[in-house]
Amino acid sequence: MRLNGKAWMCLALMAVSIGIILSALGWPFKAALFPMITGIPLFILSTLQFIITGFQKKSHDKDSVVDFQLSGLEDKSLERKKTITIFSWIGGFFVLVILIGFPIAVPLFVFCYMKFRGKEKWITSLLFTAGAWGAFYGLFVKFCDIPFMEGWIQQGLRALRIL
Amino acid sequence: MFDAFIQGLLMVLQWKAFLYLVIGAFIGFWVGILPGIGGGATLALMMPFIYKMTPVEGFSFLLGMHSVVQTTGDITSILFGVPGEPTTVAIILDGHAMAKKGEAGRALGAALMSALLGALIGASFLALAIPVVRPLVLSFGSPEMFMVIMLGLTCISSLSGRGKGGLLLGLISASLGLALSLVGQDRQAGILRFTFGQLYLWNGLALIPIAVGFFAIPEIVELFVQGTAIAGDLPPGHIGKGVMEGIKDTFRHFFLMVRCSLLGVFIGIMPGLGGAVAQWVSYAHATQSAKTEEERAGFGKGDVRGVIGPASANSKEAAGLLPTVGFGIPASTGTAILLGAFFLLGIVPGPDMLGKYLPVTFSLVWTIIIANILVVAASLLFINRLAKMTEIRGNIIIPFILLLTFIGGYTANNHIGDLIVTLASGGLGYLMVRFGFPRPPFILGFILGHLAETYFYISTTRYGMDWIYRPKVIVIFLLALAVAFYPAFQKRKMARSARKEVPA
Repeated sequence: MRLNGKAWMCLALMAVSIGIILSALGWPFKAALFPMITGIPLFILSTLQFIITGFQKKSHDKDSVVDFQLSGLEDKSLERKKTITIFSWIGGFFVLVILIGFPIAVPLFVFCYMKFRGKEKWITSLLFTAGAWGAFYGLFVKFCDIPFMEGWIQQGLRALRIL
Repeated sequence: MFDAFIQGLLMVLQWKAFLYLVIGAFIGFWVGILPGIGGGATLALMMPFIYKMTPVEGFSFLLGMHSVVQTTGDITSILFGVPGEPTTVAIILDGHAMAKKGEAGRALGAALMSALLGALIGASFLALAIPVVRPLVLSFGSPEMFMVIMLGLTCISSLSGRGKGGLLLGLISASLGLALSLVGQDRQAGILRFTFGQLYLWNGLALIPIAVGFFAIPEIVELFVQGTAIAGDLPPGHIGKGVMEGIKDTFRHFFLMVRCSLLGVFIGIMPGLGGAVAQWVSYAHATQSAKTEEERAGFGKGDVRGVIGPASANSKEAAGLLPTVGFGIPASTGTAILLGAFFLLGIVPGPDMLGKYLPVTFSLVWTIIIANILVVAASLLFINRLAKMTEIRGNIIIPFILLLTFIGGYTANNHIGDLIVTLASGGLGYLMVRFGFPRPPFILGFILGHLAETYFYISTTRYGMDWIYRPKVIVIFLLALAVAFYPAFQKRKMARSARKEVPA
């Protein structure tokens, strides 16, 4: 039996379905009916897939779905490194938004990404940063009037009456 | 009847109404292109502007905007893999794959032409079908609606997976989508389900952050790992050239386009099923049109039929007006807001729309037709420039796509939770792609979860288990079984004919 990524994912789905079923047991009939209808098949199907994947001699991952597929790289360690890097940038943008809010995080992120990750020229980085900020501010803040939250830092400074 | 039809056209062509139509179509163009700004929300924002308009002016403005949103939403989905609208997700699978192969122009040409023809078919249907469809819509009760949802899920599960385990993987994805829709306050008993003490989760998970993260983040990762532009390293100048080819593709697969438009019409008139479902079911039908296993393997990798099918489902925008105009039952969020506009403008939907206000009803049909022609013509003018965006270096385009993803997700509730959901669904989407689970059934399961639960609950409490013996339910169930086993049957048939061809 081999435990590849797909098998681990099936195991996770089995755990999720067990969680759904156990939670539903404590609810009244009205609220529990559909979770049961959903949770039980999910458990059965993911268990079946787990068994199939575990005892399959060859992986058929690539040719079994009609969906976009990752092309990957020849060098698997480089691919892994690059995947971790981009997820770190995505996570970093999220942290920036939380800490300093969209209005500052947007230009800061675009500039940092282009200058430090993309190694673009100063002028290119600055121009695109200005463009991104202009589009963000003009379209989403002014025109669409979307209320963007303040960052935790601004909120903290405001609480301390510094801002 | 014919007089009212022409009168409707003349009403729309009055300079003031026409001007409002052009303004509405212009706004709709940009709303469709920008992810996160939903057609429904914009309709609501524009409602206050119609107070002083006549009914025809008001509808020209609102419907002119509403009817083109999906047409241009397809553009963003194809070019960047970020859904321009929650209803334009299905087209990403093959449309964006074509863009990555350097065929953005062809994909856009096919999408725009199919969307235009789909809208025309939908509008014609609206004009012709009002008296005919009423009994059909009213004869579908909760059990039938639940079974229609199950049919849709089986259809997409069966067709989005290939090989022996394809159906199983599809059903797992669909069940996971249904499970995710359970989050939030239960509508029947008011119980909080899987909210983990978070107020944000009380209303359930919003579709926009789920769809945006789920589809955009894996694409961003891929773009970064490859380190190229969206269109890869293809020579410049190649990309926009296929526009005419794309338009021709629509006519090459004309009957597929007609069938998918009719599917869009059928789903459009079913209250509550919504636009996203129409695109997915049409996509599933398009994949079914593959005659050989090799042909089918091309779907998801840039088959133009995977673009024509979902784009043709644009017909549902017009068809969705049918239950709204005829019976006052909105078919989607957009039409629910339009229903509000009817009352604002002093018109009560129902039999009057087929008698006293028949010219106004026909003016709606003309508005949809004219707005779509205008927007498709404008898009075709700029299509080469749009397609060229896929040549921009990854280093430049990635922060912008990420920006659109974050803002798109955030606009659902303007809450930090939206960003967390966007990221989490992005992670899930990545894992599903990586480990070979099809994403279409998941997103359709999530979209339909609430409706399925409501219909299932009503059916069970109203009829007990007897609802499963209703004739229409049995027919739909048999259809679902046929759809589930059709690929296996098709494969067996192909293997048999291949064996016959081999000389003994």
